[in-house]
Amino acid sequence: MPTYIKRADGKLAVAEDAFTAVADDQDIAPGDVIVSLTRFEAEGDRLLAEGRQVGVRVESSEDVEALAYDLPRIAVVALAFPKFRDGRAYTSAALLRERYGYKGEVRAVGDVLREQAGFMVRTGFDAFEPADGATVEDLERAIHRYRHVYQRSADRRAPAFAEREV
Amino acid sequence: MYRYDTLDREILADRSAEFREQVGRRLAGDLTEDQFKPLRLMNGLYLQLHAYMLRVAIPYGSLNSTQLRKLAWLSKTYDKGYGHFTTRQNLQLHWIKLADTPDILDHLASVDMHAIQTSGNCIRNVTADPYAGATAEEIDDPRIWAEAMRQWSTLHPEFSFLPRKFKIAITAAPKDRTAAKVHDIGLAVKRARDGAMGFEVMVGGGMGRTPYVGSTIREFLPANRLFSYLEAILRVYNRHGRRDNIYKARIKILVAALGAEEFARQVEAEWDKVGTDADLPDLEIARIRGAFAGGAFETLPPRSEAFEAAKASQLAFARFVRNNVKPHKKPGYAIVEISLKGIGETPGDATAEQMDVVADLAERFGQDDIRVTHEQNLVLPHIRLDDLPAVHAALAAVGLGTPNIGLVSDIIACPGLDYCALANARAISVAQHIAERFADADRAENVGELKVKISGCINACGHHHVGHIGILGVDKKGEEYYQLTLGGSGAEDAAVGQALGPALPYERVAEAVDTLVEVYLRERKDGERFLDTFRRTGVAPFKEAVYADVH
Amino acid sequence: MKALTANRLVDGEVVFWDGGRWVERFADAKLYDDAAEAEAAEAHGKNQPKAVVDAYLIDLVESEGLWAPLSYRERIRALGPTNLNHGKQTEGGAAIAALKHAHGAARSTGRVDLIRRK
Repeated sequence: MPTYIKRADGKLAVAEDAFTAVADDQDIAPGDVIVSLTRFEAEGDRLLAEGRQVGVRVESSEDVEALAYDLPRIAVVALAFPKFRDGRAYTSAALLRERYGYKGEVRAVGDVLREQAGFMVRTGFDAFEPADGATVEDLERAIHRYRHVYQRSADRRAPAFAEREV
Repeated sequence: MYRYDTLDREILADRSAEFREQVGRRLAGDLTEDQFKPLRLMNGLYLQLHAYMLRVAIPYGSLNSTQLRKLAWLSKTYDKGYGHFTTRQNLQLHWIKLADTPDILDHLASVDMHAIQTSGNCIRNVTADPYAGATAEEIDDPRIWAEAMRQWSTLHPEFSFLPRKFKIAITAAPKDRTAAKVHDIGLAVKRARDGAMGFEVMVGGGMGRTPYVGSTIREFLPANRLFSYLEAILRVYNRHGRRDNIYKARIKILVAALGAEEFARQVEAEWDKVGTDADLPDLEIARIRGAFAGGAFETLPPRSEAFEAAKASQLAFARFVRNNVKPHKKPGYAIVEISLKGIGETPGDATAEQMDVVADLAERFGQDDIRVTHEQNLVLPHIRLDDLPAVHAALAAVGLGTPNIGLVSDIIACPGLDYCALANARAISVAQHIAERFADADRAENVGELKVKISGCINACGHHHVGHIGILGVDKKGEEYYQLTLGGSGAEDAAVGQALGPALPYERVAEAVDTLVEVYLRERKDGERFLDTFRRTGVAPFKEAVYADVH
Repeated sequence: MKALTANRLVDGEVVFWDGGRWVERFADAKLYDDAAEAEAAEAHGKNQPKAVVDAYLIDLVESEGLWAPLSYRERIRALGPTNLNHGKQTEGGAAIAALKHAHGAARSTGRVDLIRRK
């Protein structure tokens, strides 16, 4: 099981993951589950009707727009980084937060490295399954590395030009 | 020029501290090379043939004398006493030790410089007109917009892991000195009929394996909507650019696959949704504009007696003026191009001593302003005509007086197989051989404008596709061979060159260029440049002459 | 005949394996005429990530009674750049002269897809 680190109220902490990630060829586990977008489209209504929480794993090649109408019912969107170099999930996260106002958890899964944690937080991720053994302290340091940022993003952090106006 | 404030400086300091930590982890073995490589590349650090190479960013090719002196000092202290100016207006140091790089980045930060995003699949250094703020042709000072784009793109959380590298150029003059049409995005400042300022947006130009001239996807973008529009373009590219094949990952391939019209439609659809939130407030543009204002120009007569007298009495100075000195927007001033293409020298290289001299001249005579051109030369953009003889003499004394800007010996060449881990063949020595054939300055001037561009591999850092004569090094069973193309241009009349014929061996390249020039001199009509003659005659007479003796 | 080369991690210097340690001069490199032995050395080289980056075998060719790398690329790595005399070639001597004069028979190292090495 990968370590699961959750960011709440601006603080990271290792947490117990209530969700079971279920691969497409596995039977649905009991309790809260994260399933693929394909499986969610086929079985989502039934899973939700069972009274459990449901998360959806979106691959980097898939469009988060497909979830637009279901987002209020989805507890977690897990955005996959097949390789850390694949930057599509940053756009997916930004769209979820900015365009669809998604308030649930946006989790980084796959090739998740501490070096990218700052970008992830800025685009709206709030949960991490680090692939490099990064600890809470490692991620905190990466997230707070820069005292200023130059551009607006989903985190609503004040960019340098706004700081300058003050 | 733009002065960093505390915020800009703290961002650089934080970046430097981050890299120091990463280098420490690598040297301690806590990071593998595979993990470390993308991190060092994001700081412009490559491992080349002989050592590490550090690519220092020179944002929009603009330097002050303190910065140039620091580069000179770094090259003496940490390298072999010289640096290489590149076609992206950056500086490469070719003999760098990994363990020294954190200190080097600190030294750069101390003069508001860095190596951020000089590599990696992110938005790279923005190219701008090296005559910005000095030429009368320009509609606005493109550095204002380039600096705003520098800030916007620096450590951009959404666009730091694009399918491939991403290069933006901006020009505000009809004569394009930035190769805007062969950038991923080319911006040309325009004025609407009502006087409003905006940009023509060209997308999908590029070189490499599959060269394209960019397509205009918007004729007029209001200036205050630039950043939302850039966000829309980058977002469409980040999502839909190919990631399965490194050779097909640039935006040009996406634009070509979709067609420029469909690509534009997708960008406009995204732009509608992005809205004005992503635009930079007018106040911030005004702040940056203020930082570039100034330029304490004196009111001078348009004619300088000292200048005219020197021109009349000194042949070398007169030749320098004909080729290297360009008109300035203010009477009594001139733009001076400094050729880094001394005959037999390495194109784009400058020694620490030469950098120091240029820095001194900029400080003493040139409003502390130095530019780097994408053709690997330097520019002193604001020199009084009265001071030109002294500037020329000081340049000539350190081998920087070569009067060949735009001429056949003003050759662009990448480092090639002499330094680069990617290269297939040498580029520098080919440039040297060609330049030596045209060492006779009268002959070179008679030939006139002729842009020779040499790349040591298909990545096309030497811009061969857009050379009037382009030369591409290839590896033919381990031997260096060169493919010649004719008729390319990276300027406002951009075009991709056309192949001349089969590749030539190393020994035959300079001679072939000589032959091409002879054909041009024979065929040319009044006032035609090499490029014009080629466009009129086509490839046939050139091909026939070069391959005449091949049986 | 083959030799094992790499770039030293700490400074990027071109180095060769002499059988027991990494050395800067090609003339000091251990030469392998046994393929299995060469591959074993390469495996050992690749297993030293704190010392070197990207260890690989290069093919050699006989030149003036001495051995030289077969490809131009590897000759330039062993000598330094050809545009300026400030790489390993500054040392001079017979071994350097032999490398400089090595000609003919140059072949690719067999390392394709160099672009991926960036």
